[in-house]
Amino acid sequence: MSREVPEEFRLLCMLHNIGAIKSERSLSIQEICEWTAMETSSVEFHLQKLVELGYVQPTGAEGAGRYHLTPNGIRKVLTLYS
Amino acid sequence: MRICILTWEFPPRIVGGIARHCEGLARALAHMGHEVHVFTLDFPGTPDYEEIDGVKVYRTVTELGHPNFLTWTLLFNHFLEKRLGRVSQQVKFDILHIHDWLTAPAGISFKYCVKKPMILTVHSTETGRAQGIHGPDSFAIDGVEWWATYEASKIIVTSGSMKGELCGHFHLPSDKIKIIPNAIDLTKYQMSVDPQSVRQRYGVGSNEKLVLCVGRLVPQKGIEHLIHAVPAIVWRHPEAKFVIVGEGWLKGHLEYLARSSGHGWKIRFTGFLPDLEVIALMTSADVLVIPSIYEPFGIVALEGMAAGVPVVASQVGGLAEVVEHDRTGILVYSRNPESIAWGVDRVLSAPDHSRWLTENARETIQKVYSWEGIAKKTIEVYKEVE
Repeated sequence: MSREVPEEFRLLCMLHNIGAIKSERSLSIQEICEWTAMETSSVEFHLQKLVELGYVQPTGAEGAGRYHLTPNGIRKVLTLYS
Repeated sequence: MRICILTWEFPPRIVGGIARHCEGLARALAHMGHEVHVFTLDFPGTPDYEEIDGVKVYRTVTELGHPNFLTWTLLFNHFLEKRLGRVSQQVKFDILHIHDWLTAPAGISFKYCVKKPMILTVHSTETGRAQGIHGPDSFAIDGVEWWATYEASKIIVTSGSMKGELCGHFHLPSDKIKIIPNAIDLTKYQMSVDPQSVRQRYGVGSNEKLVLCVGRLVPQKGIEHLIHAVPAIVWRHPEAKFVIVGEGWLKGHLEYLARSSGHGWKIRFTGFLPDLEVIALMTSADVLVIPSIYEPFGIVALEGMAAGVPVVASQVGGLAEVVEHDRTGILVYSRNPESIAWGVDRVLSAPDHSRWLTENARETIQKVYSWEGIAKKTIEVYKEVE
């Protein structure tokens, strides 16, 4: 187990900094890929983990899902900067 | 006075000690009759503007984003500045008070715009948090911190150790820096708690010992050293159980260490908990361990002392100033699991002595760390530069 910042946490930070912190500012996977220059498969993989951990919440219909941070996700990001 | 406070953290946007510090100071200043305006960032479920105990709180939405952290910081400073500009057309501020580097760009611009003095409270530094300057972002943050200290009329720090760090690192004149410690609202700790039901919620029985740790799960908090101390503590106290409260990017690593310690089933990570639940846990614990490797103040020590739990803390930074060894708590060597285990054993093996420590600690808190006193000292600093 590494002491490096985990990859999914880097994605969480980027989502936060882009502004996806509430449902009306949630982002689709395509938008996330464009912002972060990450591969779709990688974004999907990390998002799934972040949703399971309760840091990201999906909104919208199946297949057209959009994602934004939960309050715990925001707090998690801020621990890196404070 | 009309006081303008800028902070990127304000409840319920709570990360570390800054949010609690700004809330306590703002309330105390308002209680003294000053007009206090707090400008901060938005948080889901909070209004754009509200008044809390006489404090006017403006929560600003950062309308543009960018994945890069430093660019995002500049963007939210821009939107803070716009909000400040709009409000300052109605309110003539006497003083501007910023907290840490994150709101420095907006604060410095606003200082020149309204031609009023700016006070900076430095809660921590990049070199301290990151234990050195490790990359371009770190170097940039260090530069902004220096800029803020240069532009500030006076600097407030919460401990002598932080003052030494600033004087040494930024070559600041000693008389520019004033030490005003953190404080604590003791009324929050007078709530009625049923320790048995609290302990039960976290899987700790009445015959077991609850060893509590509260802090962000980041390297500077040194929680890995507590986990490394678990086998030695359990050897001396097989009935010990460990509850670690907090969030942070190091969580996965710490959970892995806990599992690898051979005592993973005794160590519970709760994640973020609301303030009242943390107080309930502190009130119900047998010992609070603060194993930090860097701690400019360590408000969690005050919280533990106020809750009446014996505190075992690393002898670093502000902790070594807040906790008086073997009188108000136990100080142990930083980064040293054996020393942490010794400290925990000292508390758990001597209940009468531990009770004496907590009585002394509470007396000290009442005498030294009240928000009313801290607000008065802060006003003195404002008046020096007005």
